[in-house]
Amino acid sequence: MKILVPVKRIAALEEDFEIRDDGRDVDGDFINWDLNEWDDYSLETAMQIKEAAGGEPEVVVVTVGPDDAEEVLRKCLAKGADRAIRVWDDALEGADQLAIARVLAGVAKTEAPDLILAGVQSSDHSHGCTGIALSALLDMPHAAVVAAMTYSAGDAKVRVQRELEGGMLHAVDVSTPAVLTIQLGINTPRYASLRGIKQAAARPIEELSAADLGADFASASRVRRMYVPEKSRAQMIEGSPAEQAARIAEIIREATGA
Amino acid sequence: MDNAASTATTSLYFAPEQITRVLFEGFASSAIYLFYIIGIAAIVVFCHGCYVQVRKYRRGAGDTASQAQIKDRLVAMVGTVLSHRTIKRRDTGAGHAHRLIFFGFVLLFIGTATITLEYDITARLFGFKFWYGDFYLWFSLVLDLAGVGLIAGMLYMMARRGWIKPPKLDYARPDREPGDPDFDRSGYRREDWAFLWALIIIAATGFVLEAARLVWLQDRPEVWTLRWWSPVGALLAEGMRAAGLGAEGAGSLRGGLWWFHGAIALVFIALIPRTKVKHIFTASGSLMFRDPLAAQRLPKTDPDAPSVGYAKITDLTWKHLLNLDACTKCGRCHEACPARAAGAPLSPRDVILSLREFANDALEKQSLPEEAKLDIHGKDVGQVFMETLWSCRTCMACVEICPVAVEHVPIIVQMRRKLVEEGQMEPLLQKTLQTIHKTGNSFGESKRKRAAWTKGLDFPVKDARKEPVDVLWFVGDYASFDPRNQKVTQGFARLLNQAGVNFGILYEGESNAGNDVRRVGEEGLYELLAENNIATLSSAGFKRIVTTDPHSFNTIKNEYPDFGGKYEIVHYTQMVLELIREGRLTPDRKLGYRTTYHDPCHLGRFNKEYDAPRALIEAVGCELVDMARSRDNSFCCGAGGGRIWIPDPVGKDKPAQIRMKEAAQIDGLEVFAVACPKDLTMFEDALKTTGNEGRFVVRELIELIEESMAPRQIAEEAVEAV
Ligand code: SF4
Ligand code: SF4
Repeated sequence: MKILVPVKRIAALEEDFEIRDDGRDVDGDFINWDLNEWDDYSLETAMQIKEAAGGEPEVVVVTVGPDDAEEVLRKCLAKGADRAIRVWDDALEGADQLAIARVLAGVAKTEAPDLILAGVQSSDHSHGCTGIALSALLDMPHAAVVAAMTYSAGDAKVRVQRELEGGMLHAVDVSTPAVLTIQLGINTPRYASLRGIKQAAARPIEELSAADLGADFASASRVRRMYVPEKSRAQMIEGSPAEQAARIAEIIREATGA
Repeated sequence: MDNAASTATTSLYFAPEQITRVLFEGFASSAIYLFYIIGIAAIVVFCHGCYVQVRKYRRGAGDTASQAQIKDRLVAMVGTVLSHRTIKRRDTGAGHAHRLIFFGFVLLFIGTATITLEYDITARLFGFKFWYGDFYLWFSLVLDLAGVGLIAGMLYMMARRGWIKPPKLDYARPDREPGDPDFDRSGYRREDWAFLWALIIIAATGFVLEAARLVWLQDRPEVWTLRWWSPVGALLAEGMRAAGLGAEGAGSLRGGLWWFHGAIALVFIALIPRTKVKHIFTASGSLMFRDPLAAQRLPKTDPDAPSVGYAKITDLTWKHLLNLDACTKCGRCHEACPARAAGAPLSPRDVILSLREFANDALEKQSLPEEAKLDIHGKDVGQVFMETLWSCRTCMACVEICPVAVEHVPIIVQMRRKLVEEGQMEPLLQKTLQTIHKTGNSFGESKRKRAAWTKGLDFPVKDARKEPVDVLWFVGDYASFDPRNQKVTQGFARLLNQAGVNFGILYEGESNAGNDVRRVGEEGLYELLAENNIATLSSAGFKRIVTTDPHSFNTIKNEYPDFGGKYEIVHYTQMVLELIREGRLTPDRKLGYRTTYHDPCHLGRFNKEYDAPRALIEAVGCELVDMARSRDNSFCCGAGGGRIWIPDPVGKDKPAQIRMKEAAQIDGLEVFAVACPKDLTMFEDALKTTGNEGRFVVRELIELIEESMAPRQIAEEAVEAV
């Protein structure tokens, strides 16, 4: 039994930040890197399945990212993951979520996991589609935004509860192998002590280039610009209802150029 | 001594060899053999008991540091025991009584040992006798007095337990509910009473025995004439005679009582290692291996060890196992503990007693139980709750007052290390630790903002990483980021500037000093922070460090040296006092406030600086009125040990609120002065929540000093500085 947990090193912005000169991303000086919050929960889900089964299932974490991204894999190893894989290729710089999903699909094909547990989304780019794209590329069933699940290692299906709008839950049985995207709050992620992280530094991380996987990792989109929108203005309109109405009409006229 | 012409006048009429005491006179030889058999049996049981105890301690982990300087340690221990220095503190009555019992017991023991030495060793083997003549007479007198002292001390202890009943002797535990299997401490109470009665009976029967011997041998002039050398015995003998007891009756009374007295005395000795009496040895041992920096400098961990902290009872060092047995349940730590006072499920005494019961159960047997039975964390009998461990504020009040040098704080922190490793902690604390890891400060602010407070000054603050300074100011998280504290921080910068001190800060190169992170038990993160700071400090040029934060002060002073960072560091109160004394700062306006001062744990108890802040209060012309609990008995604000990052339970008085109420009892109090950024935060909050706002104010000493500087002078200096 094997569980694959794709994780991402996300960019957390400092309070005051600047946009890079090319205008397509935030200047690296203003970024604190961290493990994506959702992935903390998907890893915890995997760890709980592993522990409930007496430790037999193998938990493999994988990330697509440059050297520095190893840091998040170490954190996962410190929390108990068995193996960690990092895939990179300079050509992946600026890759979109589909390209990432393609690389991950390449890894999934060689690893052949029984379950893939991804986060619902990443807290920096928030596309929320890498996991789902992965299921499509692998032609596996999936369930998104999983808020609760029942599964024991080796089961032929997972019973999940998906979070819908308005506080509703959607109970679904998904047959395995499957891809699930895990929602925040499904469990309480464990703490990785610094000692654990330091000790994980001595553990090997398997490195692959995208080419090793023979994957086609073309992006389907590219970032044109990243910017802070101009602040919208708000003003309180004082006066009697008639005065207020007159003022509003005036503003509309100004705005529409009429 | 054996000179017949010596000073003891009454003995002149007798040959000195006559003046001694009969031992087995009138005993059949079989009875004497029986006595020896019982005596030897008692010694065998005693030795086996000692062996079991020592084997228990040896089942703990090693502690090489404590084995150094054995001679100095021995001398210090003997000094402490003889002076009763630690037992007297905050309880003079118990101190005096214990002193009577202690010296009474020691003298009586030496007395008995002397008789054995002569009768069974020197006389038997070498034919050498010394227990007669003047020596014997003085011996009788001293031992009689010792017996009186012992009984008097015991009576006081009985009165204390039976009538005075100080709350600290109540063994009810805050960490268990009535009905829990290990809630009941009546076993301890019974043992206490049994001990008191046993000793009193031994001493009292000893006197009766002595009197009976005198009456029995009243016809022997060398006995009867010299009877007043045993004043208590002689007095009782007179009473017996008055009551009509004759020599013969006294003889048979002696026979029976002799066996009774001997039997309980021997049973008592045999049971020493198995009862509370063993504190004679364990407490002395504990004092001998005392670490004067037990709470100030926590033990390092081995980075390669498969696990850290105390998970199993066998993870405790032999010294900490010895500590557990040294505890005399005196309750001083229980009384001093702010967590206990605030209704938390923690009493340092009960942590120690729980672990002791656990160790006795698990480690006194022939072989060790299976691994799983050694786990000291959990909800079972003898195990310590995680809530208990997280309630501790590492304020050191317990370590400070413990008369027998029990090291509660390192034991608690070692146990926390295990909890941290397993992630068993409040989510908020977990978040804070992650934040500190990510940003280097507990506020989650960007490093860049660490020195933002300098923008409010009208002079530049040097970057000590770029240019050498005389004084490097380690600012600390609270003083850097907390808006209220930033005002104080700016005030201190103005004082330094005004005094013409060449100082600088580390700007974003500074990280959280790690004092509290270490006390939470996150040793890995502490190491990271300490190493970062030491690396930055070693790249800067400075003569000494100053800080306004007692927490940073403590860890830099006491713990950084273990990581290669040895610096001279002073607290700002010490430095400002120096500047005032050198005339570089002149607080000329006398403020005249009625002021009380709260000793921060990490400045006072931890680093014994009680006087500099008080001298400053005097220097600014305030009238200092200390609270009942001050100096080494100061009552923690509740923020230590990482508790500032863990929400306190609602509905119960927090330590800071208890403290505010204590201060509010001072008539006409105007200012509650503090010398610690966390204190300012905690107490300003508590001032409001206890409804004392408007009655008095909480002020940092820095603010009082600035206020007392003539406004004109400040303005002038400020202009000059620009
Ligand atoms: S350090 Fe303070 S809070 Fe902790 S047990 Fe000791 S007295 Fe109580
Ligand atoms: S630990 Fe020390 S202070 Fe506390 S009860 Fe025991 S002997 Fe007294």
